[in-house]
Amino acid sequence: MVTRRDFLATSGVVVAGIWVPDWAEAFQTAGPGSAAARAEAAEAALARATALGASYADIRISRYRRESIATRERQVQNVSRSTSYGLGLRVLVDGAWGFAATNTVEPGAARAAAEQAVAIARANAALATRKVVLANADRVVTTWTSAFKRDPFEVPLDTKIGFLMKLNETAMGVAGVSFVSSQVLFVDEQKFFASTEGSRITQRLVRTYPQFSTTAADRSSGDFQTRAVVDRAKLLGYEYVEEYPWLQDAEKAGHEVVEKLKSRPVASGRYDIVVDPSQLFLAIHESVGHSTELDRALGWEANMAGTSFVKPGDAGKLKFGSKIVNLVGDRTQPGGLATTGYDDEGVKSERWHIVRDGLFVDWQTTRELAPLVGQQTSHGCLHSDSWSSVPFPRMPNVSLEPAATEVPLDQLFSEIKRGLFIEGRGVSSIDQQRYNFQFGGAVIREIRDGKLGAMVKDAAYQSRTPDFWASCDGIGGPATYRLWGTSADGKGEPGQTNAVSHGCPPARFRNITVLNTAAL
Amino acid sequence: MLTRDAALKICDTVLAHARSAGAEDAMVSLQNGIESHARFADNSITTSGRAEDLDITITVWVGGRRGAITGNDPSPDALKRISEEAVQIARVSPVHREYVPTLGPLEYPVARGFAAATADVDLAARAAALQAALTACRTAKVTGAGFHTARATATAAATANGNRRYFQTSQADMSVTARSADGTGSGYYAGDHFDLARLDAKQIAEQAVGKAVRSREPKAIEPGVYPVILEPQAVSDLMGFLNNALDARTADEGRSAFSGKDGKTRIGEPMFHPKINLYSDPMHAEMPAMPSTNEGIPATRLSLVKGGVLENFTYSRYWAQQKKVPPTPGPVNYIMESADAPVSIDEMIKATPRGLLISRFWYVRLVDPRTIVLTGLTRDGLWWIDKGRISHPVRNLRFNQSVLAMLAPWNVEAIGAPQRLSPFMVPALKLGSFTFTSISDAI
Repeated sequence: MVTRRDFLATSGVVVAGIWVPDWAEAFQTAGPGSAAARAEAAEAALARATALGASYADIRISRYRRESIATRERQVQNVSRSTSYGLGLRVLVDGAWGFAATNTVEPGAARAAAEQAVAIARANAALATRKVVLANADRVVTTWTSAFKRDPFEVPLDTKIGFLMKLNETAMGVAGVSFVSSQVLFVDEQKFFASTEGSRITQRLVRTYPQFSTTAADRSSGDFQTRAVVDRAKLLGYEYVEEYPWLQDAEKAGHEVVEKLKSRPVASGRYDIVVDPSQLFLAIHESVGHSTELDRALGWEANMAGTSFVKPGDAGKLKFGSKIVNLVGDRTQPGGLATTGYDDEGVKSERWHIVRDGLFVDWQTTRELAPLVGQQTSHGCLHSDSWSSVPFPRMPNVSLEPAATEVPLDQLFSEIKRGLFIEGRGVSSIDQQRYNFQFGGAVIREIRDGKLGAMVKDAAYQSRTPDFWASCDGIGGPATYRLWGTSADGKGEPGQTNAVSHGCPPARFRNITVLNTAAL
Repeated sequence: MLTRDAALKICDTVLAHARSAGAEDAMVSLQNGIESHARFADNSITTSGRAEDLDITITVWVGGRRGAITGNDPSPDALKRISEEAVQIARVSPVHREYVPTLGPLEYPVARGFAAATADVDLAARAAALQAALTACRTAKVTGAGFHTARATATAAATANGNRRYFQTSQADMSVTARSADGTGSGYYAGDHFDLARLDAKQIAEQAVGKAVRSREPKAIEPGVYPVILEPQAVSDLMGFLNNALDARTADEGRSAFSGKDGKTRIGEPMFHPKINLYSDPMHAEMPAMPSTNEGIPATRLSLVKGGVLENFTYSRYWAQQKKVPPTPGPVNYIMESADAPVSIDEMIKATPRGLLISRFWYVRLVDPRTIVLTGLTRDGLWWIDKGRISHPVRNLRFNQSVLAMLAPWNVEAIGAPQRLSPFMVPALKLGSFTFTSISDAI
């Protein structure tokens, strides 16, 4: 077992200063963006906050680099790069939070931010009926970098443009495809975290977001259909563009949208459905991911995203789904968009069960939330989407575990007389307590007597979260497990986005209501 | 916040660097914002903060090729670096086929929507406002959650062809959700204004509290098609989808609700109730907006729907050039109002034999762009109307409804007075039918 002392000794840290890995030096070796300048600003802010009476303070000094390329058909619409650098400081005074952020990273501005944050906390302390108590956390001094083989920011622009133009050409090569749009976004997130408890953590996360959409339009009838592939982003480098068979997907999406335009509308009614990981990930996100956020259950998001049908006392008691349903929170999952080394208050990432054998067993927590359900430590779910955003509870990767033995997709179809197989993102909408949802799909095919049949259009399925997961009677095996993700999950006020993945195999759900949305 | 001179000096510096690096055309845009906010929940303050940022974007063209960089560092070195990097990107990019030369000098009116006090929130005054809201919730024994935010923004832009503009705008918002102690009732109310002094925290909280108390112990009704009255908040929750469909290019390309058959569009068709007007106006007294589009076209009043007829699409500069029409001077906001005197919600209720009164919608998504079918749910206050009176609260419902059918000549029965819900200003609507497809257990 590695002790904390061993860990600190081997993590390449010089306690007197902040060790800077090569990648950080590559961007800024001197001036206001350097690691030394960051450390100096951080120490100044924390010391000022402490001197003004803060019982706790932490600071994130972050740089976000983004590169975005957008194309349509045979032309490039936009190439842009952005950099955002700044600091955000959080302080606890008299049990109330204050926060201040500035794009000026130097000791004077950092001290001013500390003064603003303390003044905000103090002005609001009288409005607090509950004093914030934080769960214990280890003091951590380390660096962490997400796994990637090829830095996308070092790949020549024309290589990236060439990839997108080839993708468009492939899709446009399918007879009947009218429009194609494609984008790729690369994000490089570099974060330095420091707290008054002594943690000093430097992290780098690289994410790659390819996406595209095909449209078929029939100008004589005025009808059109779209097939979007938008949820494949991962915590990976440019190797994800090079190694994944994108062109096959583009050609397939071209054929699918042409078939979709000609397909017949679904007949409304009750169906057994098999949901592919490309759609099920979103159902997990909406119905499980958000309902098991403890801040929602406590009413902290009541004014925006809402509360939850899962109540604070439900852990270990609430039947969430059928016995074969196991769901885990996991911020360590390779490639997961919410995977990280440490969360935004320095808590090490981990994996834990949220639903075990159909029973709801645990929450998504932060240091502030954990004590409110009697837990000693946080599951590491604090996140801010920018140095300028207040960190708050955000969803980890929440994933459905596959069956213990291999269950191929065909086997899930084989026991269905009349059903639908649903792939890809369609419309998703769910109520503010995460009961009632409606999800569409990008491509939906009939299942007849255990066999996959023709495509149908205008279909959406509606259900109620506990009923839906209770109706789950088939889950694919390990070989069918896939990781999909959403890059812009909104929550909070002011609104913040979070990138999060959900792994799952395909799964079968019985007797689900399906609507023909064009007939309403 | 950056003054006009300071902001345009940054723009000019970046333009000069870009020209030196080889840019043949260039545009710099800058946004400097200060945002202050406070959240509360469970009748207690939760988080509160202040953030200040600066975004500088340089877009250049070299040999018809385009490159763009955004940064937030105004130091001399950084301004030079982003200019040069933008030129480097342009040099390795393919020709930008939708290039339109940047704008030359143009006259812009002074923005009306700015109040200096909104830029610098007084912490004690805000605490007092929040205390008033919390007191309203505690007194009524409901659980309150809410959000108070104030933002001031300086926006500047300059082009290589001599366009220069600078605007100050501000925006303050407050919203409150109140939930009854028994968990069966919930109410929401929001207000916004460009002047923080015009936000009445107590009144907003009291509206939310009233809805929470009146919506307790709702009864279920069968999903189906019902007459409805949509409060302005509910109308604003649907408006964005209609406005998005007004893009000329999408309609011309045959993939919008306003695309017609045989390659035509539906411009000029009486698609909506003959009393409905929809327009944009930067000088509107209640809801002024920045008097420039994002592309720099000076904004003036722009009619989109007049007397129920689809009158104008919105044209970007590129698409306008392709179609040989002027780019549209907007939209910068969306104001929907009746050509006749407005009808109050009370009068609408009295004129309803049976139907639903809807406070707001939640999680609204576009199901079918061909007819703008939306799905979503009612939230925070839904009541049954029987014989001209509110009878009882109703459990929330999911809807699937086409916006085109909703606003069709035969479906709109009355139009209220528009209410500011930025960026919209919309009225209550009384509608003959609205389609609900399932019941929600959510409160």
